[in-house]
Amino acid sequence: MGIDIKQLYKTFSLKELRKGLGVTGRQLFRKKTTIMYPEEKTPKSPRFRGLHALRRYPNGEERCIACKLCEAVCPALAITIDSEEREDGTRRTTRYDIDLFKCIYCGFCEEACPVDSIVLTDIHEFHMESNGERLIEKLDLLKIGDQFEAEISAARKQDAPYR
Amino acid sequence: MATIEVDGKTLEVEAGEMLIKATDKAGIYIPRFCYHDKLSVAANCRMCLVEVEKAPKPLPACATPIMDGMKVFTKSKLAREAQKGTMEFLLINHPLDCPVCDQGGECPLQDQALGYGKDESRFLERKRVVASHDIGPLVATEMTRCIHCTRCVRYGEEVAGIMEMGAPGRGEYTQIGTFLNQSVDSEVSGNMIDLCPVGALTSKPYRFAARSWELQSHASISPHDCVGTNINVQTLRDQVERVLPIENTEVNDCWIADRDRYSYEAVNSDQRLTVPMIRDGNPENDGGWREVNWESALKYAAAGLLTVIESSSGNHVGGLASASSTLEEFHLFQKLLQAMGSSNIDHRLQQLDFRDDSTASRFPISQLPIADFSNLDAGLLIGSNIRKEQPLLSLRLREATLKNQAQINVIGVMDYEMNFDLAQNIVSNPASLVNEIALLAVEVSKLKENDVPEQIALLASPNEQYNDTQHLAAISNIANQLCSKEQTMVTLGAIAQQHKDASVIRFIAQWICDITDARMVILPPANSVAGWVANCTPGEAGKNTVDMLAAKLKAYVLLGCEPELDHIDGQSAMNAMLAADFVLQISAFKSSNVMKYADVILPMAAFTEAAGTYVNCEGRVQKSSVAAPPKEESRPAWKILRVLGNFMEFSGFDQITLDDVTSEVSFENLSSPKGKTQENSDTTIHYHHTRGLQRISDTPMYRAEATLRNAKALQKTADNPPPAAGLNAKMMEKYGFSDSDLTLVVTTNGEGNTVLPIRLDNRVPNDCVYISAGHLETAPLGADTSVSLEKA
Amino acid sequence: MTDNTFNTVRKTFNVCLPDPSIEQSWTLKAYQENGGYQALERVLREQTPHTDIINTLKTSNLRGRGGAGFPPGIKWSFMPRAAEGQKYVVCNSDEGEPGTCKDRDILRLNPHALIEGMAIGGYVMGASKGYNYIRGEFWEPYERMEAAMKEAYEAGLLGENLFDSGFDFDLYTHLGAGAYICGEETALLESLEGKKGQPRFKPPFPAAFGLYGKPTTINNTESFASVPAILRADGNWMDGEWFKALGVENAGGVKVFSVSGHVERPGNYEIKMGTPFSELLEMAGGVWKGRKLKAVIPGGSSVPVMPADAVMQANMDYDSLRDHGSAVGAGSVIIMDETTDMVKVLERLSYFYHEESCGQCTPCREGTGWLYRILHRINTGKGVSKDLDTLLDVANRIEGRTICALGDAAAWPVQSFLKHYRHEFEAKIVDASGNTSDQSKNKMTADAA
Repeated sequence: MGIDIKQLYKTFSLKELRKGLGVTGRQLFRKKTTIMYPEEKTPKSPRFRGLHALRRYPNGEERCIACKLCEAVCPALAITIDSEEREDGTRRTTRYDIDLFKCIYCGFCEEACPVDSIVLTDIHEFHMESNGERLIEKLDLLKIGDQFEAEISAARKQDAPYR
Repeated sequence: MATIEVDGKTLEVEAGEMLIKATDKAGIYIPRFCYHDKLSVAANCRMCLVEVEKAPKPLPACATPIMDGMKVFTKSKLAREAQKGTMEFLLINHPLDCPVCDQGGECPLQDQALGYGKDESRFLERKRVVASHDIGPLVATEMTRCIHCTRCVRYGEEVAGIMEMGAPGRGEYTQIGTFLNQSVDSEVSGNMIDLCPVGALTSKPYRFAARSWELQSHASISPHDCVGTNINVQTLRDQVERVLPIENTEVNDCWIADRDRYSYEAVNSDQRLTVPMIRDGNPENDGGWREVNWESALKYAAAGLLTVIESSSGNHVGGLASASSTLEEFHLFQKLLQAMGSSNIDHRLQQLDFRDDSTASRFPISQLPIADFSNLDAGLLIGSNIRKEQPLLSLRLREATLKNQAQINVIGVMDYEMNFDLAQNIVSNPASLVNEIALLAVEVSKLKENDVPEQIALLASPNEQYNDTQHLAAISNIANQLCSKEQTMVTLGAIAQQHKDASVIRFIAQWICDITDARMVILPPANSVAGWVANCTPGEAGKNTVDMLAAKLKAYVLLGCEPELDHIDGQSAMNAMLAADFVLQISAFKSSNVMKYADVILPMAAFTEAAGTYVNCEGRVQKSSVAAPPKEESRPAWKILRVLGNFMEFSGFDQITLDDVTSEVSFENLSSPKGKTQENSDTTIHYHHTRGLQRISDTPMYRAEATLRNAKALQKTADNPPPAAGLNAKMMEKYGFSDSDLTLVVTTNGEGNTVLPIRLDNRVPNDCVYISAGHLETAPLGADTSVSLEKA
Repeated sequence: MTDNTFNTVRKTFNVCLPDPSIEQSWTLKAYQENGGYQALERVLREQTPHTDIINTLKTSNLRGRGGAGFPPGIKWSFMPRAAEGQKYVVCNSDEGEPGTCKDRDILRLNPHALIEGMAIGGYVMGASKGYNYIRGEFWEPYERMEAAMKEAYEAGLLGENLFDSGFDFDLYTHLGAGAYICGEETALLESLEGKKGQPRFKPPFPAAFGLYGKPTTINNTESFASVPAILRADGNWMDGEWFKALGVENAGGVKVFSVSGHVERPGNYEIKMGTPFSELLEMAGGVWKGRKLKAVIPGGSSVPVMPADAVMQANMDYDSLRDHGSAVGAGSVIIMDETTDMVKVLERLSYFYHEESCGQCTPCREGTGWLYRILHRINTGKGVSKDLDTLLDVANRIEGRTICALGDAAAWPVQSFLKHYRHEFEAKIVDASGNTSDQSKNKMTADAA
């Protein structure tokens, strides 16, 4: 085994270090890509799949008809629905639970929904403080839907030409 | 036999059979809607069109008879084109509401649309909308979905014999519906739901409750009648959501009665008893009742019973079990009572006459296999409303009358409406029933040249009322049929078995069967046969139900029954219960009456929540399975009985599994059940009509047991009318009760009296009044046979 | 009494329609004076073997007059004469085919010929009961028929032991309730039985399982009414050749053609089979108002339409009309002049089939309504370019897929109208939207939604 002169030279002249510092130096004066989250936020695709919501029709009637297709398609078995005949004869849910720990945010439920009721909003900043809160219930879901209807419908409209 | 070729595959099939049957057997799929194996061929949906060589047009496989050498193509271009064409026509006016349709997921139209439909419609016109009518509490309608296959119409016409549905209107305006907005709630109408290939007819109680794909199936047995109907109990998250038939050609074919289908509603009702309760007399509690845990309840029950046994003797305890209990429950029940030193054990709450208990083995088992009901040539029904008592057997009798031109005759006390044609229909009255049958025996003896026993001859003195020749001709006609036809039967129905001279009727009927080789058929309520198998009957020196109630014992143990409603003589039952020192009830349902007399009430599992063995009237042993866990604190009755045995420190109550219990039961009773005529039978007549009108009584089909009484939809049907005094038009006129909204005071010979509305009922013969049992309002009348009526 | 109804008989051969010069031809007296009931009397008195009568009918080349052209001689021979129990002969006077009015005149003017024909039929087939199912709207013909039957009963020509032969024959009339479908023989039987008039699936055919499940033969009014004249054979008793010679090779005798539409003299023409259409048109006074002929439906609304040049080449018989793309059908010739709007004609015809479909089988129940609605849209200027293809495809999907022939009858006009007059349909679609592009389609879809 002989001594590699070139390697020795590289080692003692700190060539790599200087090269690296050079990159650092150049980047120091470039435009920054880092954002100050949560004060700053990146733009999101209209297809972003975040927190669930149940939507209503413009007249205030809930869209969900308890067909249970979302429950059937859910690969994580995160959705639980109970249904009954409402007094006006329509099919409605009495319970619509999503287990947020089980959910894998695949969006199949939204794909399966024949009435565009269950949707995944672009909300991804949510937390829970106790175990029971992972179950999100029908009224909560409707509330989310009511609150973000404008965003939800805008995102759907934006994506519509590609569907 | 014929050799045909289907899609290049050679098949050996029956010549003349319809093509679709052969392909079904060979496993070759042909789409269809209107074709159903049990119904006539309508060939109207045109979905099963196939190409047949040399035929210029596609032919419907359901209506094309097989001819030797036929070449059939089910998937050729012509066939596919025809099938797709039909599918397009079916879909143009079918709504796209699968997501809210209860049929969705198990819908032949949905499934076949996948294979034969297009993804885009060419139909630019408006879709048809059809108004749906309310057709009663059992079946929900959505007639826009109807594809006019007429399966429901044909089912009514052919199988059920009750034309509930029809197809008025023409062309596109044809609408399947009821005539004059009548309701669809006969005893077997729920089968239409299974037949409907779309979501036009769906189950009302099940409406929107679940989707087919999320339900779990559990094979089980219906406890409500002696047929042993095979049912599929479907649950969602441990709650029973619906009941469907399981096809068993030897028992129920592919049909079930409405009570099998809808009784599950009681299981989910808020009338369920879910927590053990004791009455400790603390006035602070509601009526002295309070809810306790199982241990306290069982301790209290054991102590209460032991006190009675110690203070007097085990013979002062009586045990009454519901006829719909399982074999294991019957077994442990009688074992427990025996252990207490009591032989007062019985399950026959619908019987008044027990004279033949000792003389003959009157095992209530049908000598005619259920499947053979369809093959009868002639038969006699004595005191039976078979359509409501055993709906599925009635369907088989109808099949026999249509297929074999079977001559079915009736000797009864009411002109019940049957769903098949009767050869002779003799409407007698309770007082003359024995007489009629004795007359028949005499006629039979003449034909068979066999001397009729003197006892019977004595009973057969035609009184004036029945002297007319027409009547005697009818009886001799029946005798003739029984003697001359090949496959015959004599059936004793509920009214014959409730009669005060039931043993005499059985004696004569048995004699007729022995002489004519007719099969003797006794149709007991519910799971009674298992009660006999498990020896849940009075032991030696034990008391039967009537004696038990009359003796006013000190303690009673009730298994699944409410004697004031379940026993024919509701009044005596109530009195006996009230007079007892201690009453233990094991039941699945709450009852305010039971709360009046019971001391401990233990909640038992309903029939869908406990496994068990059922023995049907032909002696078929079938096991049911657990479909859902017992509701809340309730427990299977066999476990309750077993642990109660432990608490009372009896030996022999160490079974761990249900099979341990079953294996203790000997089935040898089943192997030699045939009764023989006993020469020295007691044939004295106990039925005495003294004054006023004869009371005719039966238990309406949905009042017969606690489960049915708590099934909401069934309670709303026409088969559950409110109690009333039914009189025919002639009698109403005779007594001046022509007013239709009159209320009557009904008084018996004894002290019993009650107030009932009057009802015109032309099924009732002269000088009789029909007042049903199974209602609290009619219970005060007891089992008295003579009543008088007055305007209230 | 000269009756107050308009006489529509234009030409007769004295086979089915009586000579207009005979006064009150519908009376027994008039009928008997002109040779009526001789055939029945002779057959019964001589006990003519039934096979001889059937052979005479076969020789005569009489084809069924209801539309399908199935020879009654052969049909009668299918009856299981020796079978035990009741058998029936049924006459189909439920004349509902648009354009047809021949049976009406037979019932009005010559009811006794029908009675005689049916009685002979009953004798041949061993049926002692006959039913005449008359169209619900035919009140006057019904009364004439009833009156004639009364006369016949009184004269011992119906009832028990006719002419001391031991043969009984009772005849009943039954008035329908206005359903076209009851003209289909098995639907007629259902209706006679008191059920909803819906065709039965065949087999079994009525000869094996007919009225009340008994062997039954059903013939058209004109077929039955032709029988006495064929047997009389103008003096040569039972000579089938006489009748045969009147017609052509494949269709014997004379037939009544009901000419209607744009002609000067509409009415019933009893003419020889094989008469050129041009002659018939001439008899009828030619196209009215001196206009030109555009199209003809030669056999009632169910048969394909024929353009003028094709029909002028054709003769009025089964083979010739078939070769020229249509059929004799029930013999109702509908003449249309040059001003006729073919789209409107087809719309009206489709409406008829849509209304009259019994609703039993899917293609006809759903398809006839669809056809009508598309045509209605086209005719009202809302057609879209794909409509004509859809129309044809729907018609093809109905044809041959139904239990009875009503589906075919609804499909054939559509197919033939589109074949010959497609340009007229296209013109209407273009007219409506200015072009045939997808523009109009999008508009339609929006309307439907």
